Amino acid sequence: MNGSTRKPKLFSFKNFFHDFVRVTGAPVVLWFRPKRIYTTEKARIIPKGGLLLIANHTDFADPVYMMLGVWQRRQYFLVSEELMDSRHGRLFKACRCIRIDRDNPGVSTFREITERLKSGECVSMFPEGKIAADSSKPSPFKSGAVLMAIRSGVPIIPMYIEKKKSAFGRLRIVIGESVDVRAMYGERPTFAQIDAATKLLFEREQSLSGWLSE
Amino acid sequence: MTRQEIFDKLMEILAAAEGSDEIVKSCTESSRLRADLGLNSVNILYMVIAIEEAFGIYFDDVGVNAFETVGDTVDYIEGKLS
Repeated sequence: MNGSTRKPKLFSFKNFFHDFVRVTGAPVVLWFRPKRIYTTEKARIIPKGGLLLIANHTDFADPVYMMLGVWQRRQYFLVSEELMDSRHGRLFKACRCIRIDRDNPGVSTFREITERLKSGECVSMFPEGKIAADSSKPSPFKSGAVLMAIRSGVPIIPMYIEKKKSAFGRLRIVIGESVDVRAMYGERPTFAQIDAATKLLFEREQSLSGWLSE
Repeated sequence: MTRQEIFDKLMEILAAAEGSDEIVKSCTESSRLRADLGLNSVNILYMVIAIEEAFGIYFDDVGVNAFETVGDTVDYIEGKLS
């Protein structure tokens, strides 16, 4: 699994701003760091090469919690065009977020994501596509994440982020075992297999949410 | 490569992705990718990648909504090959 991707450099000038935010945000991070729950011992092992992280989306702060949940990896998020063009857009660009048109995804966006994954980077995304109206359970996933993982040959790690209950409390994040969709369905799956893999990931996500009610 | 050859090759790509010939049996150039063939945006993206590999062409920065019908896709490939 994942043998074709390179391990990214520890330091690179192009990631200077990204790393600056990570270092200066450390005190806040320590205070608000989420409690991590791993479903198995194997789930504790975060791959070092190309990796796709997925999570449920209930809050604007979810990307922060994803970064805190898997702090070992420098994560790059998919950001909608509306947010990229907003006044916060410069921050997202400086953090090398990937611009995506949710209504009309472009070939070049897909190409950029797969190239980053193949080069060993970690891309994070929310397969629900937008903040869920009902935060108590995940909304159905779109299949873009599966296609990206299959085409780049990287594993997917599903995470479940608990809905924050109090302003100053720590929330919990459940991290599951990685899923290698290419190993399951091959490099050229059918449409039905892509849908099946998407359904599998959604079921994994639902099972992760069950860990918080135990 | 003639337009008919491009269309036939595109049908092979769609049949392989669908896993059966059903999708291409009644397909014509005027068939709509979403409404008639039932493809979603990820399916269209997958089709585009398969086209790039099969025809050895490179798509420009186009969105998946740029291809409304099978004919639109054949037009684009024809333009790229010429």
